[in-house]
Amino acid sequence: MPALIEIGTEYAAPFAEATLVTLRLTAVSLVLAVVIGLVIALFKLSRNRVLNLIANAYIGVIRGLPLIVQLMFLYFGIVQIVRLSSFWAGSLALAVHAGAYVAEIFRGSIQSIDHGQTEAARSLGMSKAKTYRLIVLPQAFRRAIPPLGNQFIIGLKDSSLVAYLGVQELFGAALSAQAENFQPFETYLVAGMYYLVLVLIFSVLVNRLERGLSKGKREAAPA
Amino acid sequence: MSIVSVRGLHKRFGDLEVLKGVDLDIEQGEVVVIIGPSGSGKSTLLRCLNFLEYPDEGEVWLRGRQVDPAADDLDKVREHIGMVFQHFNLFPHMNVLHNVTVAPVNVKGMERKDANAIARDLLDKVGLADKEKEFPSRLSGGQKQRVAIARALAMDPDIMMFDEATSALDPELVGEVLGVIQDLAEGGMTMVLVTHEMGFAREVADRVIMMDDGYIIEEAAPAELFEHPAEERTQRFLSQVF
Ligand SMILES: Nc1ncnc2c1ncn2[C@@H]1O[C@H](COP(=O)(O)OP(=O)(O)OP(=O)(O)O)[C@@H](O)[C@H]1O
Ligand SMILES: [Mg+2]
Repeated sequence: MPALIEIGTEYAAPFAEATLVTLRLTAVSLVLAVVIGLVIALFKLSRNRVLNLIANAYIGVIRGLPLIVQLMFLYFGIVQIVRLSSFWAGSLALAVHAGAYVAEIFRGSIQSIDHGQTEAARSLGMSKAKTYRLIVLPQAFRRAIPPLGNQFIIGLKDSSLVAYLGVQELFGAALSAQAENFQPFETYLVAGMYYLVLVLIFSVLVNRLERGLSKGKREAAPA
Repeated sequence: MSIVSVRGLHKRFGDLEVLKGVDLDIEQGEVVVIIGPSGSGKSTLLRCLNFLEYPDEGEVWLRGRQVDPAADDLDKVREHIGMVFQHFNLFPHMNVLHNVTVAPVNVKGMERKDANAIARDLLDKVGLADKEKEFPSRLSGGQKQRVAIARALAMDPDIMMFDEATSALDPELVGEVLGVIQDLAEGGMTMVLVTHEMGFAREVADRVIMMDDGYIIEEAAPAELFEHPAEERTQRFLSQVF
């Protein structure tokens, strides 16, 4: 116990800094993942066979490979093409990974919208694109929030793997610290507590949002 | 000139032929009621008129112009045909006013304040002037359906189609929706109604069409068709519903 407190205080500054890196990494990668996910979901729902194929291949490969393999592969691929900091390369790699899961979440929520909504919109003269933009997607986004929140928590934890790309985020800070103090057990325990607190804060935020939305949902139940 | 003309319309779903050659003309200001047993193709016929379904064969003419689904802008075609659904299909994420204005603003490019003015006028007509801020889930079925009617009217359509607009309603709410439809009929709106409300059909229709198994088997003025149906299948159908 004293060792824990000692390590906790001794590394408070680098761990706090690393926590910020973890949060930035998570935020950047998840925003990108939402964009990628939406595009891939629309590809998957498209009538165009080529777009279907692209979406299925992408989702299939991402789901079929361990994340660490993808990260290494994408990182070394990305830095060969463009010169990026390891932070940005890591963010992009995480985004490409999470994007596949986000795509499946969006696909499910889009498909869950009653077809009558589309028919009503089309019968009023809306184009397919307007029907999506004004009618289907706003409803689908609301429904996607609970599973997206879950995916975001996974994304936060997954971000620890980019330590192996040399990013000094939380887990990376722990790696360096234990190499210095030779107390891996205590050091990783402290890092673990940081993650746990982050995940708890995040869960509370997602729950709040969900509750807020389900209040709104009484207003927005199928009509 | 007819508002709608249909010639030799066929529609198949896979192996199932649902419309087997339908001819129909609807004149300006006419109220046509379509009756017939379940599965006879009534909904499919309506949905072929605004190309929610594409006919496999046959011609659809609107205001004297033949629609070519391959070449014409069907969004433009649908703008002029209002449709009211059995299950209302209001947009649950928008309030009542927004439900009514979303198409005029986004399809016709109308200024929001003009669209609001039109919408308020229509909501007043359907008796819901005080509900414009409500969300659909807070409305009764009858109120929802009246909003759906206002929403379709807001596009200023040439014709209104109602597909069993009261079938999903509790019995005590049917009257308020039929009342609105009746007002429209009296205002000279061209309408096609699929309904099982025979009493109402009799009152409001200029012409009643009986469909069975993908064909129009009989059509006549309501008094004629209800009192002296020519076809045996019509007699049987009417004796079941009355
Ligand atoms: N999209 C579709 N795919 C396959 N079959 C369909 C489709 N739409 C309708 N059908 C079939 O076509 C037939 C006619 O359907 P339609 O809905 O036009 O009948 P209806 O006269 O409106 O009946 P109801 O009074 O029950 O509404 C039915 O057998 C129905 O199952
Ligand atoms: Mg039907």
